[in-house]
Amino acid sequence: MTNRRALAALAALCAAALAIPVLAAPSAGPSAAGPPEQKTIVIDPGHGGLDVGAKGKFGNLEKTVTLAISLKLKALIEQNLAYRVLLTRDKDIDVSQENRSALANNNDAAVFISIHANGSFRTATGAETFYMSLTDLDEETRKLAYLENNSSQLETRIADDAKDKDAVKMILWDMAQAAYIKQSARLAEAIQSELPALLTKEGRPSRSLAVENRGIKQARFKVLTGVACPAVLVEIAFMSNPEEEQKLVDEDFQTSVAQAIYRGLVNYMKGLGTKPPASAPSPGRPSIRLP
Amino acid sequence: MKIPKTALVVGLLIVLAALVVLFFLSGAREVIRKSAPTAPPAAAGSSAAPEGAAAPAPAAGPAVKVSVFFVRPSDGLLAPEEREIPASDSLIQQTEAYIGELIKGPTGDMAGAVPPGTKLGRIYITREGTAYVDFSRELVENHPSGTTAELSTVYAVVDGLTFNFKAVKKVFILVDGEERDTLAGHISLDRPFLPDYSYLAKK
Repeated sequence: MTNRRALAALAALCAAALAIPVLAAPSAGPSAAGPPEQKTIVIDPGHGGLDVGAKGKFGNLEKTVTLAISLKLKALIEQNLAYRVLLTRDKDIDVSQENRSALANNNDAAVFISIHANGSFRTATGAETFYMSLTDLDEETRKLAYLENNSSQLETRIADDAKDKDAVKMILWDMAQAAYIKQSARLAEAIQSELPALLTKEGRPSRSLAVENRGIKQARFKVLTGVACPAVLVEIAFMSNPEEEQKLVDEDFQTSVAQAIYRGLVNYMKGLGTKPPASAPSPGRPSIRLP
Repeated sequence: MKIPKTALVVGLLIVLAALVVLFFLSGAREVIRKSAPTAPPAAAGSSAAPEGAAAPAPAAGPAVKVSVFFVRPSDGLLAPEEREIPASDSLIQQTEAYIGELIKGPTGDMAGAVPPGTKLGRIYITREGTAYVDFSRELVENHPSGTTAELSTVYAVVDGLTFNFKAVKKVFILVDGEERDTLAGHISLDRPFLPDYSYLAKK
């Protein structure tokens, strides 16, 4: 009797011990949240809370500008496209880099756009759009990234061995962005081609709004590393440059920037062959008031 | 009674096996992550002894010429200022002297890429040529922040070391002896950097 009970206890222990690693393993697969029709775009206003980002000569902070532009961009997308838009923060709070990318992954985001204002050691000017740099990755991860970028079904082709699959998942989770690098490059191009020539509310080019074009670049951003969808980081202009600092806090400039990013996003989606779904005309839909 | 006993033994073995598997599965990632920052201090002790073997021994003489990189105002690229550091058989000493010059800042009209107040802790270089360069917290705390500024800092250190010291292939930037997520909110410091000479100005 006692032996049997001990056995049962042991069996339970075994089951528990074996279950833990399974439960603890991060699932690289997208979590199926929300109906497939309503796709999600995640906008990430850079910094927040104690992390103020770059500081301007006149005391303006990067975190404030990034939030203002992100809110305008969210409103634009929601008014015109049938996408759900999530912000990694909608007020002045600290959000860890991991939680920012996790929001995109947990909601199976179609696109991740991080909004920033730049800073430099000299008086640099201009707008640039970044995507993740893979140059510092080890050989193995780069190979996986290559495979993933050139086929849609990584997990079916990788060895059937379950252990190998887990190893692949681990690597990809750590460096998820590597698998989307081609699309991220296209998204960066689409946005950067709209960004420098900012337009007025009436859609006319304006010299006072325009910023220098610094082009598309790649760099190793913590916030993009783990994002499992096309992702870019937009540096609107330089907070460290007094002239551009004045622009960055100007409401017309912010609106114009949000519209430029929006146009880039739409062009990117058109390029993919998937026409961006327009939001159904619903007069009852609550309109988002711009801040 | 025989059967339960064997079953007991088998059960125990399964539990043991499960625990071993659990131990390795759960611990593996932690170990890899932590081994990096702890490696330098552990081996840094040996840096007191000359490590000339790995160093590209400079010609006998009192000083060696190096190119120290600063931010050029015209285009923001990293441009060199020629400096002299004491000749030494030790690669560690040489690279430390190099970073010392980088911290001192430019003499001309260029801008320094290392924030004021930053001090160098230790440098440790692995056999494979990965240099672990440990800076004081001022590197982060006094940093102006911003992607471009962070890239300037990173590549003034990384390109500077690999450009001047052929034995250095990669650079891992540490702060107060530890690995950091980002330099000042943007650029990730969680793995070593390979040089990227596109940040350097063409002569």
